Amino acid sequence: MNILLPQFALAGGVLGVLGLGLLRRPPFWAVRLTVLLAPAAAILLLQVVPASYVPPLLNVDLKSLGWQLVIYVAALPMALRASGDDVEATLFLGAVLGMGLLAAAGNLPMLFIGLEFMSLPAYLLVARAGRGDASRKIEAALKYFFAGALAGGVFLLGMALFYWDTRQLGVSLTPLGPLGQAGAALMAVAALFKIGAVPLQWWLPDVYEAAAPEVVGFLSTAMKSAAVFFLMRVVQVAPATDVAALLPWVGAATSLFGAVMALRQERLQRLLAYSSMAHAGLLILGVGAWAKLGQSSAAAASILFYLGAYAFMSNGTFGFLSVTGLKTRSQLKGYASRQPGPALAFAVLLFSLGGIPPTGGFIAKLLVFWQAIAAGLTGPVLVGAVSALVSLGYYLALVRDIYFEEPCEGVPEPGPAGPRVLILVCALVSLVLGAAPLLLKNLAGVFWR
Amino acid sequence: MSPQALVALVLNLLAVLAIVGLFAAAGKLFGPRSKPEGDAHMPYETGLPPLSPSHESMTALYWRYAVLFVVFDVDLAFLLPWALARPALDAAALAAISVFVFLILFMLAYFWRKGVLECR
Repeated sequence: MNILLPQFALAGGVLGVLGLGLLRRPPFWAVRLTVLLAPAAAILLLQVVPASYVPPLLNVDLKSLGWQLVIYVAALPMALRASGDDVEATLFLGAVLGMGLLAAAGNLPMLFIGLEFMSLPAYLLVARAGRGDASRKIEAALKYFFAGALAGGVFLLGMALFYWDTRQLGVSLTPLGPLGQAGAALMAVAALFKIGAVPLQWWLPDVYEAAAPEVVGFLSTAMKSAAVFFLMRVVQVAPATDVAALLPWVGAATSLFGAVMALRQERLQRLLAYSSMAHAGLLILGVGAWAKLGQSSAAAASILFYLGAYAFMSNGTFGFLSVTGLKTRSQLKGYASRQPGPALAFAVLLFSLGGIPPTGGFIAKLLVFWQAIAAGLTGPVLVGAVSALVSLGYYLALVRDIYFEEPCEGVPEPGPAGPRVLILVCALVSLVLGAAPLLLKNLAGVFWR
Repeated sequence: MSPQALVALVLNLLAVLAIVGLFAAAGKLFGPRSKPEGDAHMPYETGLPPLSPSHESMTALYWRYAVLFVVFDVDLAFLLPWALARPALDAAALAAISVFVFLILFMLAYFWRKGVLECR
């Protein structure tokens, strides 16, 4: 049973935090320590997990291990910033556990369990974590809940149709009939719903704007990695489906929509939400290329690299918002003269998000576009490149605001200095990923064998 | 799926839509026509003006109980197959179900501790 060891570590963390909650006054440091140790232990335990397939429920292949690594690493910044609240800690660890289970799922019911397991705590995290306007957060959480419940229902319907056609819930090797095709399409729709692809994106900006920044960092990286994995598993379960052919165009449309919408946003968190949508679009394009290339591991590696690089970029930018308390673009003006260090790190992260060469974001975009061109998807790649160009319009504008504008009044005081290190580390990793892609290739080789 | 089955499915769908539509529209179709006037849109039409708005929010004191009941009810449903298959099970299955029961009891203790079981 050692293929689920990382998940056991997380489950142990959940029980530990709940056990601390039994005390009259849960010790602050013990809760924070448990929240940090559980994902860290999960990352370490990944090393001893053999890549194997345990029918019928689990399929811990190399892809699953790689994804689990990215998910747990992407969850670490949120763990670092955890408050001492035992309920919040339980919800966070529960969501990570759900993502781990999703990434280990081998058939459709297990995928569904993972999906719900990671989603339900996430809704409550949006409503509960962080300071700020509680009613707005609850409204966002409700929107998120209804969107997620709809996605879950659509997935179940698709699963039923798929089962009706193929009489099984695992990977189908026979050609699908019309009902099976419809089922696979519905399941893919559920996955696209979770990723926030056009035209199922309406919930995403509202949720990302209202939730606490560190939670958004967690949702946009770990949750998004899990959702992309979910989409890939659905494509894997029903390989002979026509849906996969649509994915590149869905991705290109999502990317363009996110980039164009982000141009006119004044509130930083909403801007970054749309930027996250633009990145998600390129990831969906990558999944389309992966499906078209016969699920090649090179294409999967390109998506994984993108997710890994994005985990640092997004966690870093939302960490910046969380630490500095900035809300709007006008507050960002001239920020370099107030806080040179964090401002520089933020600028580096913006360059990385925009895909400027010496950063991880550039390599990530390059790899995904490369695979998509190899798959012959010239049209969607052109649209994706246009959207990347459009996105420079706001990333560079933000950098200009930071460095070449007069500082304005009414800027909130930055929080404690400790978490600033996190932003610096994220920026540094983004640079390292860009400067030495070979380094990560070797690191990935540990899991790719 | 054969064409016949598909035709049957479509016919079934149409029949369902027709029947539901008929029931939903029955009042309009067969009932006496009346002009809505005066207080026709008031709730209940008792002849008395309503004392308060009918869209009133109510407190649900019991909702935590209800949620917990559903959770534990579903959990206990897992025990039934174990109980039925018990003579054929070995020590490993006993250990597994013990862990499961422990988790349920742990949850109960947690909710108790957090004051969820008090009716407020």
